[in-house]
Amino acid sequence: MELRIKDLTKLYDDKLILDIEDFYLPEKTFLGIIGPNGAGKSTLAKIVANIEDASTGEVLYNGSSFTAELSKDMTLVFQKPYLLLTTVYHNISYPLQLRKVAKEEIHRRVMEIMEEMEILHLKDQKAWTLSGGEAQKVALARGLILKPSLLVLDEFTANIDPASMLILEKSIQNYHAKYSPTIIMVTHNLQQVQRLCSHLAYMNKGEIVESGEVDEIILNSQNPITQKFISGEIVV
Amino acid sequence: MKEILDGVINGFRLLFSLEPEVYGVIYLSLFVSLSSTIIAAILAIPTGIIIGTKEFFLKRSLVRSIYTMMSLPPVIVGLIVYLSISRKGPLGHLGLAFTPTAMVIAQAILVTPIITGILYNGTKEKGLEIKRVAKTLGANKLQTLILLIKELRFSIFTGIVSGFGRAISEVGAVMIVGGNIKGHTRVMTTTIAMLRSMGEYESAIAIGIVLLLLSFIINSILYHLQAD
Repeated sequence: MELRIKDLTKLYDDKLILDIEDFYLPEKTFLGIIGPNGAGKSTLAKIVANIEDASTGEVLYNGSSFTAELSKDMTLVFQKPYLLLTTVYHNISYPLQLRKVAKEEIHRRVMEIMEEMEILHLKDQKAWTLSGGEAQKVALARGLILKPSLLVLDEFTANIDPASMLILEKSIQNYHAKYSPTIIMVTHNLQQVQRLCSHLAYMNKGEIVESGEVDEIILNSQNPITQKFISGEIVV
Repeated sequence: MKEILDGVINGFRLLFSLEPEVYGVIYLSLFVSLSSTIIAAILAIPTGIIIGTKEFFLKRSLVRSIYTMMSLPPVIVGLIVYLSISRKGPLGHLGLAFTPTAMVIAQAILVTPIITGILYNGTKEKGLEIKRVAKTLGANKLQTLILLIKELRFSIFTGIVSGFGRAISEVGAVMIVGGNIKGHTRVMTTTIAMLRSMGEYESAIAIGIVLLLLSFIINSILYHLQAD
């Protein structure tokens, strides 16, 4: 899915926290968004995923404004996932139930994704008994089972153990290789961006100050603030 | 102590006595309490969810009013309902005074804010998160509402159990609007109050035991229904 962000602003209590004039993201791109706390990264992710409304401006999906039909083709995975008060199996199958997919097909797809994400042993476990890493795997499986053309990940590996993080990253890589969706990943982890993403956008104070291919930005950044962040300096 | 023990034994005797009068009182108690709880739940569940998930003008004042109404004195409610349905009242022409319907109305007024308040609290805590997840997974409005009800089932259960507890144990309002008429509006709590005033403590305790047993059975059924 191709995205264009035009004249987008977001105000909280009259404070401007997001201000993006024009940003284009070609389809099949895997974009990493990095930047300091309060840069507006998560807000941008939520607006793109249509979880929050913008104050002004809009996001165009394949050249069109958001429609209810589009919501079936995109999803967002949060840093702290909310899992339904039921089993892992029913959590993952829930989006397919919403779309009235046949039971046999649901079962086949749920088993397939659980196996891929190494959570088959959790199938009948109640969601509230899972560890943080397990819960995030279930949340990601629930998002990926929809085979969305636009996947938004909001710090989805923050606060989880390295082993679980690698499994999650592998699943995302496999998914991108197999289905070529557009992925937007908000993170603080520059190494993770290097491992996964094709493109990078650096945000500061609500603006995208620099964007381009990952290697190009990391090796040859033109912006002093981005350079500071990449070199590990504290950016205020 | 002897009176309490005899009362307990008599309570079990009464339950299996097959006396039509006793069963009439038990039936009416259950009818009034369950009907009022069901009516209150139908009104309160969507109201609590809406207040918990939406922002609107005067929301804080409304929430404060609901919390206050959770502890409404039953005699006040009984009095207001009675004045409204008595012959000279605005609804006097309906002929509801001293009928089980009047008792159901009074109890529904008492129970509705309890379920609303509990649902509001449960929704305030998790409602937005549930709505957000439903949205990210492509649920429409109806599917989101169904998900909210499913996910808030523990709050709904708590609200219904608390509301039913209030209704089945309530005496002031049903006494005023029902009048404790034998064979017509006499329920277990008004029977206990009457027996106490007559000095028949043993029988009062016996009815109390029956009341507790029934309450236990109803709560067990509700617990079983909400358990996953």
